[in-house]
Amino acid sequence: MVGVKLVNVTKKFKDVVAVDHVTLEIKHGEFFTLLGPSGCGKTTTLRLIAGLEYPDEGRIYFDGQDVTDLPPYKRNTGMVFQNYALWPHMTVFDNIAYGLKVRRLPKDEIRKKVYEVLDLIKLKGLERRYPTQLSGGQQQRVALARALVIEPQVLLLDEPLSNLDAKLRIEMREEIKRLQRRLGITTIYVTHDQEEAMVISDRIAVMNRGRIMQVGTPRELYKRPRNLFVATFLGRCTLIKGKISKVLPNSYVTLVSEEGDLKLVGIIPSEELEVKEGEEAVAIMRPQDFSPEEPSKPSNVIEGIVDWLSFVGPYVEIRVNRNGKRILINVPTDFEVEVNKRFKAFIPYDATIIFPSTYG
Amino acid sequence: MKLAKNFNEGIRRLRRELDRLTVTQLVITIMVITIFLILPIFSILYKAFIYHGSPSLIYFRELLDNPLMFKYPPSLDIAVFVERYKFKVLSNGTRVLIPLKTLYIGGRGPDFGYVFNSLFVSSVVTLTASVLGLIAAFIMARYDFPGKGIFRVLLIIPLLATPFVNAYVIGKVLGPGGLLNFVLRDLLHLTDYTVVIVGLPAVILVQTLSYFPIVYLNVLASLINVDPTMEEQAENVGAHGLRLFRTITLPLIKPGLASGATLVFIFSLEDLGAPIGLSGAFGDGLHNRLMSFYVYDEFKKALTLEQVHASAYVISVIMLLIASIAFLSIKKYVSLRQYAMLSKGGRWRFRIRKLGIKGTLLAYCFLAPLVMVAALPQIGVLVLSLTDWATSGVFPTKLTVEWLSSLVTKADVTSAIKNSLTYSSLAILIIITVGTSAAYIAARRDIPGRDLIDLLVTIPIAIPGIIVAVGYLVLFGTVFSNSLMDPFINPGLLLIFSYSVRRLPFTTRTVFAGLQQTHVSLEEAALNLGASRARTFFTITIPLIAANIIGGALLSFVYAMSEVSTSLILGSRNPAQGPITFLMSQVIYASAAVGTVSIAAALGVLLMGLQVTAITLSNYILKQRVAFLGV
Repeated sequence: MVGVKLVNVTKKFKDVVAVDHVTLEIKHGEFFTLLGPSGCGKTTTLRLIAGLEYPDEGRIYFDGQDVTDLPPYKRNTGMVFQNYALWPHMTVFDNIAYGLKVRRLPKDEIRKKVYEVLDLIKLKGLERRYPTQLSGGQQQRVALARALVIEPQVLLLDEPLSNLDAKLRIEMREEIKRLQRRLGITTIYVTHDQEEAMVISDRIAVMNRGRIMQVGTPRELYKRPRNLFVATFLGRCTLIKGKISKVLPNSYVTLVSEEGDLKLVGIIPSEELEVKEGEEAVAIMRPQDFSPEEPSKPSNVIEGIVDWLSFVGPYVEIRVNRNGKRILINVPTDFEVEVNKRFKAFIPYDATIIFPSTYG
Repeated sequence: MKLAKNFNEGIRRLRRELDRLTVTQLVITIMVITIFLILPIFSILYKAFIYHGSPSLIYFRELLDNPLMFKYPPSLDIAVFVERYKFKVLSNGTRVLIPLKTLYIGGRGPDFGYVFNSLFVSSVVTLTASVLGLIAAFIMARYDFPGKGIFRVLLIIPLLATPFVNAYVIGKVLGPGGLLNFVLRDLLHLTDYTVVIVGLPAVILVQTLSYFPIVYLNVLASLINVDPTMEEQAENVGAHGLRLFRTITLPLIKPGLASGATLVFIFSLEDLGAPIGLSGAFGDGLHNRLMSFYVYDEFKKALTLEQVHASAYVISVIMLLIASIAFLSIKKYVSLRQYAMLSKGGRWRFRIRKLGIKGTLLAYCFLAPLVMVAALPQIGVLVLSLTDWATSGVFPTKLTVEWLSSLVTKADVTSAIKNSLTYSSLAILIIITVGTSAAYIAARRDIPGRDLIDLLVTIPIAIPGIIVAVGYLVLFGTVFSNSLMDPFINPGLLLIFSYSVRRLPFTTRTVFAGLQQTHVSLEEAALNLGASRARTFFTITIPLIAANIIGGALLSFVYAMSEVSTSLILGSRNPAQGPITFLMSQVIYASAAVGTVSIAAALGVLLMGLQVTAITLSNYILKQRVAFLGV
């Protein structure tokens, strides 16, 4: 188990910069996720760590040891590929045992270890099967077992759940998390699914166009996104453009919308951001932070006509039209709302996030 | 600064890419191609361009002045009528003089001299084969009609190589006492003339019939790969019929047509089967006034290298030049990568229309005569091998197993078979090693010069076999004189290498296609688990593409068994080491007198049997129906 450090790592494919001066530090035993839209460079970053690609610039360290030029087979990482990459010409047992055979372990020990890991991933009894005879979920477990059995220094998971159906995906992500806790193995996980990332990770790096947009715990990223990209990528939200009319103490500011019809008090998510009065800014409000009843915390009030309503299940999603601005709000299912009726909702100041427009 | 940094970065990258496996594979590929293809070619160039130790074009000037090579003015008497008289004894004992009228086609012309004869034949054959192949492919790809399955099989029968004997059969059918004259003159009384087709028209006929399936298969593969929505979109905006074909379909199948046509051109240029086979049927004549035959004959006559006239080298260079230009003009269509794209065919539902009665009749009117005439040589070979047809006249009179049994009883025949099997088997080992290495580098490694590797392993398709053989005689005959590698003493060893190089592309291409279809993450998973590149290659890559290796190797094997050019020229240096095709050529060439052609036919049947078996197996293993000569 190691800590992984990337310093200024850049990788180009022809003229496309896939990874752009990425610097990251992943701690011992951490569950770390690279999150971003497709093509943002997250898989390339993972492959750079595995040694399947080499950076054009920058260095990669495992516990302080420079591994930048080491070939993949000398890095002792365990990778689970998006398509599982199970060898069709080998049985489950042989697939899992491969890494141990390469390491020239004695036969009995290979057997012992393979059965241990089969037990761990609950696949005992299937060791004589071929990969094509397994379901998607089982294949996924074999791929995981194959990576775990060599006791890698780092576990690398490249969208391992993307080929599973929704229900199985949720089961497996919990199982992966439990397994990782139990083994305490440093894990780097790649996904484009923000919910999955939130549930599973200790820390997340959000990437866009090859760059790291923000690194933090799920809570930090969600509650205090440092830029518009992170804020909008981590969940649906309504944006209100305007100008900062007043700077308040404790990072709070007041924003007046472009048309001047809406005044919102909100929080600047980072102390590093400096704001001035009169500066252009954007307010971000997440639908689930609204409530139809006035909360105890100091809150902004949004009022308008309901012009769209849909029943999602756990809640009702509505859009409230206020002078042409349509604000997305989640309402409890037992609360009565009707289309074309007036509606009033409250959002606490500390859930209203305001960025200067020049940022992100 | 930046340059130095880039340079260092490049070196670092190269060192990472060049692990032990890659270096070994590179060295093997480059060594085999260099020693057994490039150096021999250079030694021909040396012979052609060096005069008394310094560069010179004197041999080329001599060639230009040689009226045999460049005939001016050319003779264009294509058809010649000849009337002779012959006594005939009537039943009452009186003798009358009756006229024997003969129409010779190609007997005295066209004749432009060796160089332009070859170009003329290749160009016409390319054109005719392309037209026939294109129409056949279009009908087969786009229409459905009763009996289509039979035509599908019949259309590729001409590809079953029966070198020399096929031409002999055509000669026999077209000859003065042949089937054609029997039908036209004696049966239907359509004409008093005996029609004899010889010379270049006969060569063109033989080659067109054996090569049009190459265009057919390549175009068929392209047509199947055309996304049907492209044509549907064009129809949707109002294009149809010929306009649709000209503006949408034809441009889309251009790669298949271009590579098919070019291969026909090159195969026709280097062909020895037709001139030798026709010489067997008609004796010496214009049908062997071709560059390929000239070079073959020069070397056959010469006992030592010193006796070979420089013109043979010059002609070789000219052939090489023509073939190279043809190949380079379609290089991008025959490179490994283009081929891999083609070989993924059959993903969508093709645009197949059911033909009505009128359409079906039209299709039959084109296809039936085509396959009947085109399969004639193969059928003829079978008949020759089973009957006394070689000596009996228009029709065979009795069945016999004499010829087929000679395959196991006659000493020189069995020894030729044994030689061929030995050479081809050993060549296959080399082909698998080199082919798999080269394909792996081209598909998987990111090193400078990867395109060069691609070129090196596909170009043997374009190098006339005669050039390879002549190159071996010059290079190994001088440098390795009186050693194991001396072609004048031990041509068998060199035949193994000539087969290896010449038939390499078949295996390389199928292996490359296999690698393209195997996800690279399967290999990356092994690397990730700690296996070196070499271990990954042998435990993961090879098992995953085993089917492609075996399939490709089978194709290489049968085409090695039926290889003609180097077998003849090298084999003739030591007949005891001659392979099957060498023996066939000997037997055919002498057959006008002795009638031993039936033994060659029996060998032809053996070759056809091997080919059918290997192609069926290979198609089964590779799970594909079309591209067995998907060059």
